[in-house]
Amino acid sequence: MQKPLQQIVAENPYVPMPVEVIKIITEVDSKDIKTFRLAFVNKEDEERFKYIPGQFAELSLFGKGESPIGIASSPTQKGYIEFTVQKAGVVTSALHEMEEGTLMGVRGPLGNSWPIEFLEGKNIVIVGGGFAFTTLRSLINYMIFEENRKRFGKITVVYGARSPGLLLYKDELEAWGKRGDIDLNVTVDKGDSTWKGREGFVPTVCKEVAPSKENAVTVICGPPIMIRFTLPVFFDLGFSKENIITSLEMRMKCGIGKCGRCNVGSKYVCKDGPVFSLAELDKLTKEY
Amino acid sequence: MEKKLLKKDKLSGIVKKLAAEKTVYAPVKDEDNVLFKILEPGMEPLTSFANTKNAPKKVFFPHSELLMKYTRSPKGMVFAAMPADAEEFVLFGARPCDARSVALLDMLFDQEKWKDPYYIEKRKKGTVISLACVHPPYSTCFCTSVDGSPTSTQGADLMLTDLGENYLVEFLTPKGEALAPWFGEATAADAAAEAKKQAIAEQSAAEIKKKIPGRAIKPILDVSFEHPFWDTIAGKCLACGTCTYVCPTCHCFDISDEIKGDDGARIRNWDSCMFPLFTKETSGHNPRTSQKQRWRQRLMHKFKYYVDNFDAIACVGCGRCVMSCPVNIDIRKIVEDISKL
Repeated sequence: MQKPLQQIVAENPYVPMPVEVIKIITEVDSKDIKTFRLAFVNKEDEERFKYIPGQFAELSLFGKGESPIGIASSPTQKGYIEFTVQKAGVVTSALHEMEEGTLMGVRGPLGNSWPIEFLEGKNIVIVGGGFAFTTLRSLINYMIFEENRKRFGKITVVYGARSPGLLLYKDELEAWGKRGDIDLNVTVDKGDSTWKGREGFVPTVCKEVAPSKENAVTVICGPPIMIRFTLPVFFDLGFSKENIITSLEMRMKCGIGKCGRCNVGSKYVCKDGPVFSLAELDKLTKEY
Repeated sequence: MEKKLLKKDKLSGIVKKLAAEKTVYAPVKDEDNVLFKILEPGMEPLTSFANTKNAPKKVFFPHSELLMKYTRSPKGMVFAAMPADAEEFVLFGARPCDARSVALLDMLFDQEKWKDPYYIEKRKKGTVISLACVHPPYSTCFCTSVDGSPTSTQGADLMLTDLGENYLVEFLTPKGEALAPWFGEATAADAAAEAKKQAIAEQSAAEIKKKIPGRAIKPILDVSFEHPFWDTIAGKCLACGTCTYVCPTCHCFDISDEIKGDDGARIRNWDSCMFPLFTKETSGHNPRTSQKQRWRQRLMHKFKYYVDNFDAIACVGCGRCVMSCPVNIDIRKIVEDISKL
């Protein structure tokens, strides 16, 4: 006699919770990045899927496989979870072919998270580049949620993309820009005829914005080249390695520290990460 | 913990009787090899052999294992069924090194936070009967260098030690004690038997001449990740992965989907850190692009990372990788060389 699926899911971390794709948003002009809004088929699963910004989940397509993707929605958004996915491999390509109303699976939430308690009471500087803005978006929406806003100090955001058409979450960026409680700095490497905003690379913009190191933490996510040139800016501003937080990516399968491929030294990115401070990363091997 | 004496000629019959009632994995002759196989009627379980070609980890962590089934619905592929629960079984004839490997795998698969239900289910249902090594079977044995011994009981539910005319039968756990009815012909063990076993334990351990600094290299590994030494170890490695497949403690796996018509299965298969694709990401980026890095990973995982995480070396000193490597890479030599860095 088979147990009900809700019970199996509660006991077995390999079995995905069934979800329905309720909305698909094409984020960029190149159409290869889409946001998938998923609703849990079983109400109990929604209760069970308690997450914190910075965590990820395995998106599960039976017949194709699984892909670990950061959660782009904020836990303050009820009734659904969102993932912004670039079309790249077998699973993400199949995902991009899907239509609203399709059933798929989610395993998670997995990994640690942005260190919310550590961030509380501090000024937060968010630095994001390109497609790596997804879990930062989760964090921003979490912090600016009405009941949460007073738990955090000044919020500064520097977000860059190569071109205006490659910026994610355009409607939200506009809404954040109208709020008085975020210092929002959106930049593109090169604008187009309609672009009225800032032009320039993320490291340069960070230098211009020059957030104070006083009681401040930087949370940074982006392509390696952006990270490489942005970190020195924050070192020059006097930020300590304990106060610069980032998130790693590695190939993953199980997501729960068993299958053995995502370790950096003794730590598993899936279980002990993906979020690490630079001080923590300094203690690990440089194999990622 | 109860101890008994069993006449040696009775053992094979007991194993066959057990096999008539439940699944029994036992060492059996297969061409030139001794392999763990399910004992079928007419098959003879070996009670005197060196060690098996394959490690017995497969009975708890199979080569290829069904995780779940799914099926097509009008709205997409959906979950259909779980694999059937495991039935009770006995693993007979594991050497103490191999029995220990199961205790080491427990540390990973039965962690507090994330439990592996497939492995744990089989661990609950399986009883391990080990056969102590009265003489270490191979010159490649090095269990005494990695916290083990030829008569270690770790991981075993019941251990048999050949005392000459009798086996000393040690019922080590409740699961082992549950097998007592099958050992009804055994008689109470006296102090002389216990003393004899003790002498065998000491003499057998002493017979292992090869000693490597299994624990002592940990502080060296802590600071040697970038050492040029690593450039020298993987030169002849073929990346065939044999060492990881024969290893009783290697446990890395891949998860993949198979589909036929409207039905599909998600399965996991043994994988190997020796393979280039193991860590290759969709983007093309690979954190371990060279065999040097992969060998360092394998060595570090066993002698540093597992020690960091579980205070245990993920090597039981069975020597299978030493015997099986097609280009004669010897992990004992590598550990010795590291100790001199």
